[in-house]
Amino acid sequence: MAEFNVNLRGVGPVSVIDVKGYLDAHTAPELENVFNKLLDQRQYKVVVNFDELKYISSAGLGVFMAYVETMRENQGDIKFSNMKENVYNIFDLLGFPILYEFFKEETEALQKFSS
Amino acid sequence: MRRQINSLTKSRGLENAILVSIILFLFNLIFPLHESAILSIINEVFVFLTFFFLYSYIHLFLSSKVDSPLTLVLNAGILAALIFFIVSIANVILGSGDNRSIGFFDSLFSVLMVFVFIGAIVYIFSTFRELFFLRQKKDPSTYFNTMLIFFALSFFSNIFLLFDSTLDYPRDAFYVVTIVLICLNSVRVSWIAFLPKKQKYYLLVIAVVLSILFGFDFALIGGNNIIRKMLYAFSPGVHTMIHLVMIYGCIYFAIIFFTTLFHLPTAEAFDRKAAEVSSLMDLTKLITQVFDFKELGETITTLTTRVCNSDSAWLITKKDNNIELSSVHNIGFVDADRITKSIFGSGDTDFESIEIVQYDSINSNTKHIGQSFRSIAVAPLKVHGKINGYLFAARNRENNFDQDEKKSVEAYADYAAVALENAKLIEESIEKERLEKELDVARDIQNKILPNKVPVSKQLQVSALFVPAFEVGGDYYDFFELDNDRLGFVVADVSGKGISAAFIMAEVKGIFESLSKIIYKPRELLIQVNDILKSSLDKKNFVTAIYGIIDRKNGILNISRAGHTPVILCRGDKIEHMQPPGIGLGLDYTSGFSSSLKELEIKLKNNDIVICYSDGIPEAKNHLEEDFGYTKLDDIIMANREKELDLISNAIMKELSLFSKNHSQHDDITLVIFKWKQNT
Repeated sequence: MAEFNVNLRGVGPVSVIDVKGYLDAHTAPELENVFNKLLDQRQYKVVVNFDELKYISSAGLGVFMAYVETMRENQGDIKFSNMKENVYNIFDLLGFPILYEFFKEETEALQKFSS
Repeated sequence: MRRQINSLTKSRGLENAILVSIILFLFNLIFPLHESAILSIINEVFVFLTFFFLYSYIHLFLSSKVDSPLTLVLNAGILAALIFFIVSIANVILGSGDNRSIGFFDSLFSVLMVFVFIGAIVYIFSTFRELFFLRQKKDPSTYFNTMLIFFALSFFSNIFLLFDSTLDYPRDAFYVVTIVLICLNSVRVSWIAFLPKKQKYYLLVIAVVLSILFGFDFALIGGNNIIRKMLYAFSPGVHTMIHLVMIYGCIYFAIIFFTTLFHLPTAEAFDRKAAEVSSLMDLTKLITQVFDFKELGETITTLTTRVCNSDSAWLITKKDNNIELSSVHNIGFVDADRITKSIFGSGDTDFESIEIVQYDSINSNTKHIGQSFRSIAVAPLKVHGKINGYLFAARNRENNFDQDEKKSVEAYADYAAVALENAKLIEESIEKERLEKELDVARDIQNKILPNKVPVSKQLQVSALFVPAFEVGGDYYDFFELDNDRLGFVVADVSGKGISAAFIMAEVKGIFESLSKIIYKPRELLIQVNDILKSSLDKKNFVTAIYGIIDRKNGILNISRAGHTPVILCRGDKIEHMQPPGIGLGLDYTSGFSSSLKELEIKLKNNDIVICYSDGIPEAKNHLEEDFGYTKLDDIIMANREKELDLISNAIMKELSLFSKNHSQHDDITLVIFKWKQNT
């Protein structure tokens, strides 16, 4: 069974979600839980660090789509960082770079929030 | 030989008994007085046979009643009382019987009377026999049979007296031995231990009454009265037998009395053990009968109170460190929840084995709110070493749970854990079945939506291939004859799987089908589709699509791509991935969608191959979770580009299945190939 891990940490006012392994229809609910927790805590500034993510399916992509609107309505956003090329290609094909901000490094994304 | 005798005595017990009785009866009517020794001996033999056959018949009859020993005891008691009354009344009416005549009716009466006695004695004796064998672990039949032999010897020893009235010592000797054996056999009364407490009290009273009653009978039969004389005249053996059985009864019931008396203090403990065992048995039955998790939970808590004599019980299930109250018995949900929380605190506490928690120690500050207890037993529900929940038994009484009760709650919890696990598994398998049915429906929808043939024309060869995944994906492709020259086509992929994806797919088909008749520009069409989907698509769902129009008159291909995999164009020995900008349908409903969407126009050349496909191909995985990728796909197309279109798709599928042979197909695979033939 493909494994998936998600970890949440706070960097200043921004929440960083580390995703690891395989994000698909079976593991997406775990990520949804994390986002729900953030909404409960009124944390709307989110950076997702893809450093250790190996694969993402359409269901995994759906998670970000489901929450980005709420984040943006509350002066927050979901930004992506440290994406591997194969994962980025999936996002790219779908046209995500037009709608979301992608960064090579997590720090860049954090900076973007503070600016 | 022995078997033959056995079958003769057992299978025809009643017939034998009746036959011998009639012979004996007639014999005694013909010879009312046994003057000669021969007649006496013959008579004794007949009497003995009557005893024997009656005994073997009644034995069969009684063995069906051994489940209620008290009934057996009572029956024996009633017969003893009957004998007592007959003897007493006979004494009063007939006096001592010294002036006895020997008329026909007189002898008829006495013979009938003797038969009553014989019947009663055999019945009582058989009852003792059943009680003797009741609840015996080892086979004690040797002891009993020895006693039977001495009974028979005592019976026949009277014959010596016929020859010489001083020869009474063999009879007395046998008599004494028989009584000793009776005493020995009387102590086998372990069945008393298994009686419920109430029945023990009952038995105590009966035993003392019966012991006295048998004692009186013994004295009466042995005394100098009419019945004794009558029996003696009829057959000395009968008299001896009655005498012995009365002694047996007297001794036996005296022993029963004392044994019961000594068993009384442990009666309650025994009852409780019996309740535990029967609760466990109930639960074992439930495991195989109840599949409903909730119902099972309720039964478990109800039985828990019975098992350990507690006032209340409740059950919690644990899943990923989340504790959930499943069912309660004799306690409110709120109270049970409160106590559970105060025992487990934050939820990190784990009890590996049963623990007794003192109520005061956990509830010092919230006293006097709701129900209160003194001690609570907490037993983990473990299956395969994993704790799936806890069983609570709470007690309001002063005395704590003792070692025995702890053990029984623990054993009970083990059973309960297995039962609950079973119920859960069954629930899951039902859910799985439901999902499989759902999958069938989804597959059905998909099959009906996809076109069953490809458009055929001279200039444009078309091949389409669709391989569904186990979990239905949301792939969709279609062709639309726009007019004589133009052919519209769509290849789309709905995000998500299963029945929801299949429904969105059906909707997408409807949208494309109707819009294709109105809008002849791929870009405009996709913008419209996105607009329509806004109202029906869930936030986290999206659809990727390629829409294209080929003009078969001049070979001009117009395509627009909304987030879908790139279109592959194979021209001569060159491969090109055409990826005009465009984001997936449903990702953005603002102007961003239309502003980013571009349309591509290609003038096809002879033998150009255009390939549209779903992400099921490049994202197919092997056992190392590696992607099939685009390079392999390009290579296969390149190597097979001269072949028929169907052969090209076969080659792709073959490579694909080789690549992911140890990996189940994850997503639907769609492959639509066009080849432009200009010169034909």
